[in-house]
Amino acid sequence: MKRILLLRGAELIVFAFLATIPMLVVNPYALGLLTLLAIYGILLIGLDVTVGYLGQVNLGHVAFLGLGAYAAGLAVTRFGLGMGPALLAAMAVGLVLGGLLALPALRLDGPQFALATLSFAALSTTALNELEGVTGGAQGLSLIRPPVFGHVMTPPLFYWLCMALLAVVWMLMRNLLASQWGRAFEALRDSPIATDAMGVGTYRHKVAAFSLGSGLGGLAGGLYAFNFQYLQPQSYTYDLMIILLLGVVLGGRKSLWGAFVGASVIVLLPNLLSNRHLFQIFSGLGFAMALAAGVRGLVKKTTRPFQALAPVAAMGILVVGGLVVENTENWRKAIFALMLFSVVVGLPEGLMGFLSIFLAKLFRVPHAPLPEPSDLGTVLPSRAADGTPLLILDDLKRHFGGVKAVDGISMTIRSGAIHGLIGPNGSGKSTLVNVISGLYPPTSGRVQLRGSTLPSGSLFRVAQAGVARTFQNLQLFGELTAIENIMVALKGVYRSPLPLVLLGLGRPEERRAQSDALALLDLIGLKDQARTKAKDLTYGAQRFLEIARALARKPDLLILDEPAAGLAHPDVIQQIEIIRRVHQRGISIILIEHHMDVVSELCDTVTVLDGGRIIAEGTPEEVKRHPKVVEAYLGQPIQPELSGDASPLPA
Amino acid sequence: MNASIIGQMAVSGALMGLVYALIAYGFQLTYATSKSINFGQGELVMVSAFFSLTLTNLGLPYWAMIPGGLLFGALMGLVVERAGVRLALEQRSEGWILLTIIIGLFFFSAAENIWGRDDRPFPTPISADPIRVLGVDITRLEISVAVGVLGIMGLIELFKRRTLLGKAFEAVSADRDAAELMGISATRTVMLSYGLSGAVAALAGILVSPITTVGPTMASALILKAFSVAVVAGLDSGFGVVLIGMFLGALESLSSFYLGSGWREAPGLVLLILALAVRPTGVFGKAVIRKV
Repeated sequence: MKRILLLRGAELIVFAFLATIPMLVVNPYALGLLTLLAIYGILLIGLDVTVGYLGQVNLGHVAFLGLGAYAAGLAVTRFGLGMGPALLAAMAVGLVLGGLLALPALRLDGPQFALATLSFAALSTTALNELEGVTGGAQGLSLIRPPVFGHVMTPPLFYWLCMALLAVVWMLMRNLLASQWGRAFEALRDSPIATDAMGVGTYRHKVAAFSLGSGLGGLAGGLYAFNFQYLQPQSYTYDLMIILLLGVVLGGRKSLWGAFVGASVIVLLPNLLSNRHLFQIFSGLGFAMALAAGVRGLVKKTTRPFQALAPVAAMGILVVGGLVVENTENWRKAIFALMLFSVVVGLPEGLMGFLSIFLAKLFRVPHAPLPEPSDLGTVLPSRAADGTPLLILDDLKRHFGGVKAVDGISMTIRSGAIHGLIGPNGSGKSTLVNVISGLYPPTSGRVQLRGSTLPSGSLFRVAQAGVARTFQNLQLFGELTAIENIMVALKGVYRSPLPLVLLGLGRPEERRAQSDALALLDLIGLKDQARTKAKDLTYGAQRFLEIARALARKPDLLILDEPAAGLAHPDVIQQIEIIRRVHQRGISIILIEHHMDVVSELCDTVTVLDGGRIIAEGTPEEVKRHPKVVEAYLGQPIQPELSGDASPLPA
Repeated sequence: MNASIIGQMAVSGALMGLVYALIAYGFQLTYATSKSINFGQGELVMVSAFFSLTLTNLGLPYWAMIPGGLLFGALMGLVVERAGVRLALEQRSEGWILLTIIIGLFFFSAAENIWGRDDRPFPTPISADPIRVLGVDITRLEISVAVGVLGIMGLIELFKRRTLLGKAFEAVSADRDAAELMGISATRTVMLSYGLSGAVAALAGILVSPITTVGPTMASALILKAFSVAVVAGLDSGFGVVLIGMFLGALESLSSFYLGSGWREAPGLVLLILALAVRPTGVFGKAVIRKV
């Protein structure tokens, strides 16, 4: 409670203070800067959705600012609309074009995403320039602020409008990003494959996030148009984009306050650069900060030498430059570059990330206590284990070029069973479960779950159909906490439509999700580490968490891909215990495992694969003595030495 | 519309396209070893061209200037690798995207202040008088571009195939971890690739400058097209960039004729977005199988 009060209190105080400014200050220049601060604030909150939450370098945001500005400008000059509808139009343009751009950019990440957005930005500048009939081209477009409800929009009124919009955007985004949506965005960044496999859907969330961020860019563009009342295509270029990125990164990613701080920096930068004396002071301060942080990092050995020294060097160049160069304005791009470089290398969490650690220590605000865990019976209701056929594979094949990784497998998994799947490396086990779980479409053959055909080639739709899986190479959402990892995947709890979530009315659901997730954490013995980030858990705990996360899907069938791989002996024993508990709830399991003792201990039936085909099936004891199995593992009886394993496929 | 004019424009465009192909080839070199590319490659082309111009103005003959320019480009490539890429690769993050953009911005600003904002002519001993080949006018200058581009690409490919160092390069491209286990330093190989990439960028600058003039803005004009070529061809496709480069060059020259010069970049950008949407690995790229 204390935490909430402090955070909300700080927000309230800042916004109340900002709201009273026009009554205290009459300096039009200062008011202009503050108006710009509000506009950039909205713009950066939008950019932070892609850069911070999705973790992608977005070079197209500036285009949405421009397109939004022109949309609003044209709405007023051509169609004679009022300010409200013009702003809505600006936002709509951002939303729609953002969604359209997200469609091709969907499958992309990293450099390809950056390139797609960069080309979009270049294209939109070209279009604004060349469609002279509509935009006025390089000549520019002048407009005036239409009155709102009969009031002429004087600078203070317009300032209040911008601030009010910033406050609204702030509130809605806070609610959204703290909800399942925000978690899904982050999950998407950490592991798109697992996001799909947990039935969350990378597709819709990526489009939603990008479109939302771009919509905010459009809205900011609309305000930008009414602020300057003159539009030119050249205003929305790569240079401005770099400055926006500087704002988000310097302010701090994944933080509304970060966007606010970043916006303040952007607004103040021109003033900083035009005054040489001021610049010298600030570059000196920056140098001192980089030096202090660098020395601290080196002494404590928390940073690599490069990470500590490079910002010092960059800031050093800035200081020397400030003393040598006559006109700092001419070097503004180099100055941005040096500042950005120092921040990206030395302060990757940004100013707010750094400050929030510091503030949390200062105020010692505890996290809101977690609710009591739900009853496991309600989270994971026991189901009948009647031994009827659950999953039927019918002559399933998956070839990679000439490699027949899975070559005609027919088998039946019975309801309530733990069905072992073993075989030497390269025998096709992993490919088989990858086909079942939808990562690869089968080359031919069918998979049926409870009599209906399972969707093929889509992790997401297979997950929706009731199959959950874990991954041999862990695919946790590293930046999310243990409890959040489970909450992301939780099925059947989140029902509130987006508008209610935006208004902050999704809270009861959130509590229920926490309770349910805690029950699952309790099942794997990690209840005490609910708030630990997944990447900071021990390796064993990460393996357990993968199972708990898959259970949050309340699956009919759980596929465990080598759950004991790399575990120390005590952890293996705990893992067996966990799987047994899951099994007791009536969940059917396919278990791929190399540890023969784990398989013998748990499985009712074992299928042995070799070369993409089934070579034996039966109880663990029968299978172990089967001559073909012995041959597959140990080689021909005539050649007693162990055969080297040189198969080209992942196990 | 006269067919010979179309042919003329297509041929000159295609020859210009070879320069885009060369810059795109520079992306491929670093992408092969490190799965990273220099987003500031356009600025690298530009500062190298300016540096070469300075060498010429200092009285160095054209042929002696070229190695100097290439060396400068290689050095700048190494700077980009050390300052912008290595840390991010060690952390297995994508921070290099932002960092290479930032370094490019720094180069841009430095060039603006050192050499000025105006476009300047770039002297060359190669004549710009047209020769008629199969009914199309081609200048010796344009031929020199083609020879230079294909020559250096051929040399680097030979180097990769025939020398021990080149084979180390290929080994790291194929499997970085396995190469490290065989005693090949991946870090040095990545450095080598950035050095080569920088030299290639410098050569692109030297070849294109006599035709287009040198100026800070040449960076952004070239880089977008090079990106288009690299992505449409595929970042791991070897000589695919040559074909796509010539195609895009021709397309650009024709579209600037029919749609107006303001639109000249549009087809490349549209193709880039389409290629990313339909075939992210490029026309000539290999499909990647997702593994878990």
